[in-house]
Amino acid sequence: MGIKFEQVNYAYRGPDGQKYLALANINLPIGETGEFITLIGETGSGKTTLVQHMNALLVPDTGSVTVLGVKVTKEAVAKKRIKLNPIRKKVGLVFQFPEYQLFEETVLKDIIFGPKNFGVPEAEAKALAHELIKVVGLDESYLSRSPFNLSGGEKKRVSIAGILAMEPDILILDEPTSGLDPMGRDELLTVFNRIHTTLNKTIILITHDMNTVYRYAKRALVMRSGYLVYDGDPQALFSRKNIENWNLETPDLLALQQLISSELGFKFPHTAKTEEDLLTMLEAVIA
Amino acid sequence: MKNIVIGRFIPGSSFLYKMDPRTKIIVLILLMVSAFLVRSLSLIAFGLMLLMVVLIVGRISVKRVLLGLRPLMFLLIFTFSFQIFFNTAGELVFTTTLAYSPGGLGVVVLLWFFWWFTRRRIPFKLLYFLVVLIASGTLLSLFSYGPIFTTSTIEVYSQGLEMALFIMLRLVIIVTLSTILTLTTKPTDLNLGLEAVLKPFKLIRVNTEEMAMIISISLRYIPTLLDEANKIILAQASRGVDFSEGKLKEKLMQIVSLLVPMFIISFKRSDELASAMEARSFVPGRPRTRLHQLTWRPMDTVALCFGLIILSTVIVLRVIGW
Ligand SMILES: Nc1ncnc2c1ncn2[C@@H]1O[C@H](COP(=O)(O)OP(=O)(O)OP(=O)(O)O)[C@@H](O)[C@H]1O
Ligand SMILES: [Mg+2]
Repeated sequence: MGIKFEQVNYAYRGPDGQKYLALANINLPIGETGEFITLIGETGSGKTTLVQHMNALLVPDTGSVTVLGVKVTKEAVAKKRIKLNPIRKKVGLVFQFPEYQLFEETVLKDIIFGPKNFGVPEAEAKALAHELIKVVGLDESYLSRSPFNLSGGEKKRVSIAGILAMEPDILILDEPTSGLDPMGRDELLTVFNRIHTTLNKTIILITHDMNTVYRYAKRALVMRSGYLVYDGDPQALFSRKNIENWNLETPDLLALQQLISSELGFKFPHTAKTEEDLLTMLEAVIA
Repeated sequence: MKNIVIGRFIPGSSFLYKMDPRTKIIVLILLMVSAFLVRSLSLIAFGLMLLMVVLIVGRISVKRVLLGLRPLMFLLIFTFSFQIFFNTAGELVFTTTLAYSPGGLGVVVLLWFFWWFTRRRIPFKLLYFLVVLIASGTLLSLFSYGPIFTTSTIEVYSQGLEMALFIMLRLVIIVTLSTILTLTTKPTDLNLGLEAVLKPFKLIRVNTEEMAMIISISLRYIPTLLDEANKIILAQASRGVDFSEGKLKEKLMQIVSLLVPMFIISFKRSDELASAMEARSFVPGRPRTRLHQLTWRPMDTVALCFGLIILSTVIVLRVIGW
């Protein structure tokens, strides 16, 4: 088992001790390999809070999160019975806002910061950085630039490279494609998908883009005001009625197919997940 | 880090909230000056009691204010010990001789080993450290085994003890006073109040409105920046920075990894704030109309009288040599 939530509750505390419940009774198993999960839900529903439990940045108030065999509970952390740093090496989390982590003078130094903290030799980390900067869609000239003079999208890419450089077993991305142009978004999603397919790594991705969910996810989680309200197949999710109640919408490709079936009375043999798939089906009809 | 209360406004409804911010600022200044003028321990203790009454009547949780003192803990303890051990005026109230013998030292070393390995499990770290420190002192004074290498004496004098308590109480009072002000005053009101109180300085060509704006914005942003700091700590922790451990060099690195994003974010924030203010036609120095007018109530007169009475009493007492 990769990550397992058992009856997790978590509340943020206000300055006066008031509690804001952010996670309510979460039970969730996640495989160590082979999963591609998208986490969706309206703004403020607790997605970020949920994933920050996955690498023990936050610790449940009650219940437990077992990460790669280490059982994280409030008590265990308070008594320092468990080491948290190894968990963070194995479960890489890319933050929603890159501003919070970039701090070195150059992009290169920033990318190797993570690996160095985990004891990777500098030369090795540097070689990795040269490789990864291209993976995230920038060229090597960026390595010598200051991370603060980059555009929002470029910062995002650098921060992703910084986590990839740690070579985590499980990769979590908190809205990695927000603020990117459509091309850049597709490029990065392809990268994550490639990491998933070639290395069989589990990827967990928070997104507000239903097309991403539909195209890539093998499993979809929906959060709503701290509760996990859906856990299952994305196809089945979008065929449910009233997904608007969860502030979700039907993906474009699915909407198009539904429109064609309802307006033209055309029966698709199966619902296509990609444009290519849809095209082959339509070509077959025309022929 | 999460528990710093200085600068944070917490909504409420007691009389402290209804008071005019001008009154609160002036009374705060009067009381702070009084606290600095007081010279005797009993008076400052009495002042603290008075402040407690205000807290209770004003329905402010004492716990909140105590949490506000936490960042000053180190300073408090440092001044306290400094006075106790180095102030040699007054009568000798306590003395003891520490004997350094192989047996005694051995036990003490064992004790510190024990401390080193258990300190992570104890919630009150500072307290634990002090207890172990005092315990080793006691051990050395009571127990010796084998030849005594050398001895040293610890002497505590009455004045040192008094001064230590006195300074501590004074610091507590001052921090509590300013916590009460920011806790019960909305940032906008604080701004208005500061502006009004600073008005006399206009005569000597100080731009008081801007001053007031700067002060209240700074106060307003302390909690926001702390929230930001917490987020940065999380972001860096996920890249393997362990803020609870590390040697000196690593500690430096950790601080840099926190401070740099902190500065960048603050600059960005202030830039955005400036644009937002400009977008709403804020021009420094230009007269502005007010949505909220400050109103002076009888309660304010009472509070002001209270402040003045305290200050004049303190001055009189000081003159007659209390
Ligand atoms: N530091 C904090 N202190 C208090 N409340 C918080 C804090 N961080 C988040 N919250 C609250 O917890 C809830 C869940 O927040 P979270 O950041 O997990 O939402 P999210 O689903 O990631 O939203 P978004 O899509 O906007 O990123 C929100 O209601 C938010 O207001
Ligand atoms: Mg979020």
